[in-house]
Amino acid sequence: MCGINGIFSYHSAAELPKEAELVATREAMWSRGPDGSGIWWNADRRCGLGHRRLTIIDLSDAAGQPMISEDGRYVVSFNGEIYNYREIHAELAAEGARFRTASDTEILLHLYARDGAAMVHRLRGMYAFALWDDARRELFLARDPYGIKPLYTANDGRTFRFASQVKAVLAGGAVSRDQEPAGVAGFHLFGSVPEPFTLYRDIRALPAGHTQLIDVGGPHEPRPFANLAATLAEGARHPAPANELAERIRAGARESVRAHLVADVEVGLFLSAGVDSGALLGLMRDAGPRNIRAITLAFDEFRDTAEDEVPLAAQVAHHYGAEHIVRRVGQREFDDDLPAILEAMDQPSIDGINTWFVAKAAKEAGLKVAFSGLGGDELLAGYPSFDDLPRWRQRFGLFATLPGVGSLAQMLIVRLAPEFVRRQPKAPGFLQYANDWPGLYLLRRGLYLPRELTKLMEADLVREGLRRLRPLRRIAETLVPDPGSDVGRVCALESRHYLCNQLLRDADWAGMAHGIEIRVPLVDFALLRELAPAIPTLAPGSGKTALAMAPSRPVPDEIVTRPKTGFGVPTGAWMSAAATETANPAHSSKGVISRRWSQTVLRACSA
Amino acid sequence: MVADRLAGLLGLSNVTQLHCLALVTDAFGGRGGIAQHNRDLLGALVECGAVVSVVPRYAPDRIVTPAGVRQLPARRGKLAYSLSALLWARRERVDIVFCGHLYMVTLAWLVARLNGAKLIVQMHGIEAWSRPSRLRRLAAEATDLVLCGSRYTRTCVLGWAAIAPERAVVVSYTVGDAFVPGDGSRLRASLGLEGKYVLLTVGRLDARERYKGHDRVIAALPALLAQGDDVHYLIVGEGDDRSRLEAYARDLGVTEHVRFLGAVDAKTLAETYRVADLFVMPSTGEGFGIVFLEAMASGTPALGLAVAGACDALADGELGTAVSETDDLAAAISGLLSGPKRDPRGLSSATRARFGRTEFVARVGAALKRLGQAA
Repeated sequence: MCGINGIFSYHSAAELPKEAELVATREAMWSRGPDGSGIWWNADRRCGLGHRRLTIIDLSDAAGQPMISEDGRYVVSFNGEIYNYREIHAELAAEGARFRTASDTEILLHLYARDGAAMVHRLRGMYAFALWDDARRELFLARDPYGIKPLYTANDGRTFRFASQVKAVLAGGAVSRDQEPAGVAGFHLFGSVPEPFTLYRDIRALPAGHTQLIDVGGPHEPRPFANLAATLAEGARHPAPANELAERIRAGARESVRAHLVADVEVGLFLSAGVDSGALLGLMRDAGPRNIRAITLAFDEFRDTAEDEVPLAAQVAHHYGAEHIVRRVGQREFDDDLPAILEAMDQPSIDGINTWFVAKAAKEAGLKVAFSGLGGDELLAGYPSFDDLPRWRQRFGLFATLPGVGSLAQMLIVRLAPEFVRRQPKAPGFLQYANDWPGLYLLRRGLYLPRELTKLMEADLVREGLRRLRPLRRIAETLVPDPGSDVGRVCALESRHYLCNQLLRDADWAGMAHGIEIRVPLVDFALLRELAPAIPTLAPGSGKTALAMAPSRPVPDEIVTRPKTGFGVPTGAWMSAAATETANPAHSSKGVISRRWSQTVLRACSA
Repeated sequence: MVADRLAGLLGLSNVTQLHCLALVTDAFGGRGGIAQHNRDLLGALVECGAVVSVVPRYAPDRIVTPAGVRQLPARRGKLAYSLSALLWARRERVDIVFCGHLYMVTLAWLVARLNGAKLIVQMHGIEAWSRPSRLRRLAAEATDLVLCGSRYTRTCVLGWAAIAPERAVVVSYTVGDAFVPGDGSRLRASLGLEGKYVLLTVGRLDARERYKGHDRVIAALPALLAQGDDVHYLIVGEGDDRSRLEAYARDLGVTEHVRFLGAVDAKTLAETYRVADLFVMPSTGEGFGIVFLEAMASGTPALGLAVAGACDALADGELGTAVSETDDLAAAISGLLSGPKRDPRGLSSATRARFGRTEFVARVGAALKRLGQAA
């Protein structure tokens, strides 16, 4: 886990990049890599790479970055972890490659020399990297299939820039802060900024599962190399028998946890009262480490309520013999930390507060790496959306396909039941959007619906933002090819949007603000490939039950049968209080609180 | 050989030669920066292995086309022009349609669409800075490659067009071989300018293009003269704004120090650049400003505003001088006239290193490569 950046003046009429800019961008990412830093320039100083390092694998100075190949041809600046690097190392060494370090970084240099852009198909992990080929004068960028690690780029037509964070790109001082209406509209619609857009017109995300080549003619269009929908579709074409489900999940999860444990420092865990983190703890214990430290957040407001995760988490920790660290957080600390939270938030997001505090607790405990159960709900049909979307489609889909019915119903509901609309602002949109999967997903995950945006933005910006964003078409594109089952469709939608644009972004900025690498064994493309044939047959709860049974000592029953609780109170109440002095959180639904909070966040991030 | 490679890139592997139809306002036999750039670009396409057929709307001057380029008769009327382009595309094979101006993009899109050809659109400057009509915008968004004269123009285009940023490529203008440093003393003597500081602007005197900044230079003259600089201002170019500028110079009492040379031939233009001590064009509306390159390639320092495309031509102040609109122009001119003189040959070669023909053809080739990859 690190921060990477670079500048390439590819156009022959472009000015040479300034070292001050390269350093300013790199230093804006100090918290991503407090253990070391480096810069590298090519001979004519047209390409410069920067790196801030958090040491996790091969702690020696020799593994510092940017790392140069022995012959000087290739240079890499890398953020993330390659979990199968030992296997690739052995393979390349057997073919005669000479290694100078025991790091995962060095395999990237040798693998690119051998396979070129196709190298990404060999990598298992979370990564974003930039690799310079001095002989071809080309820069090659890649980002992992799920988009766990971020990578942002800016191209002004003569000079190409990139960094791990949007705010770092801006810190260089050479990229415009002009607003991207699609990014702003997207934030209002989803509560996070949908890639490839950012809040700024001149800064884009390299999409998850894409590579990009920049040569003397400038950047080529990003190319996809991994497609979640295609993987799910392939699985649906060769479905696994239902009786194989539990074994597939057990084997896949065990293997993923084993792979994700590779590190030269201690690996901890964020432990909630849910199945995902509990199962991860059990699987970690099975894989070897004994004295695992598990961190749980506690809130005084929850004490002695069903929402207090501490008692059950403590039970799980005890069950697996882990050292349990309970970190109490109160409104006062939230208020104190709020300016730092908004400063660390790279792009506006309506979530991420819990991750901020649990990462803070991990740092206080002296950890650098922690597992998180993120992704389990997307992979194993844990969200209510896996039930809701197919049900809504069945109930409302037919009506919604009738021309004019959606608009008419919306108009009537808004006119006749304004109080209902105030409390359930998305309800009037049901008959308008429920006719297809993208519309259903927008209803499920939307913070606001498109018709509401004129309350938040100028009409011109709304029009332009929606025209550029094309939200429904963009969602539809993530279902190509068709994943082949309802569970697969919702899995693809949740993974490509909510997980990629919100949860993983939050895990990145909130973890990195404290120098904590958050590893997510349930967000793993190899695991998805393994489970894809079983995903169409997942029934409600069956995936989580199977995951709970995956460790040699299964997760306690109390955890498996516990109703799912959402993230909201008390953090929601604190947010609401921070968002407006007059709000009364007791009478506000989670959706309404999120709406208020989103405005606070956007104001802070746009400042 | 090159054609085969390009054809391969474009997915036209059975084709031995790429056929490009260029729809332009003017190119060969045309005047001004846009015609010059069209000539340069089409020439570069030929060097990259294409054969080019040009349909111009205007061609007032003598037409000389290089090998590989054939230019059809100019058609001034919109209908006649459109018919001419469509009929040509019906008769001949067209692999690439090059649209030389945003105003023609709808027609170019139609021609490309009817022929299954790739579409390249050139955005020069001011015409592309604000959102065009819906039809033009849709056509522009359907193009395979957008060539922009400067970073500023590219930014503006990406502001109104929903296209992948990688499809909008900056291909900076280039400078002709005629513009080289040399002895300007003969012309200087014939103009009676020996021992005087000579300022020069080259550009149309168009009442619709008052952004060029002639007024600003004339307005700076009294201050320069008052501090003892014997400054004379040469204005090359013709247009309907001349009489207003003459009146303005009269009002300021600097008529004796402003010389309108009108339109000049290519040879005289090259010499005039050499006569000048400073090329100055404080324009607020340059798509690029090819005249800055011509001046600097002739060894004459250039001064402009750090506004829009001029920043690219002046290399953000590394080749020429770029001041802000609010800076004191007279002080900037005086500083450059009295400061250490830059070596003309050094300035010329630095200009060619960035904007020379070789670099330009390489840029066009790289842009065409994008076209192949987008296939």
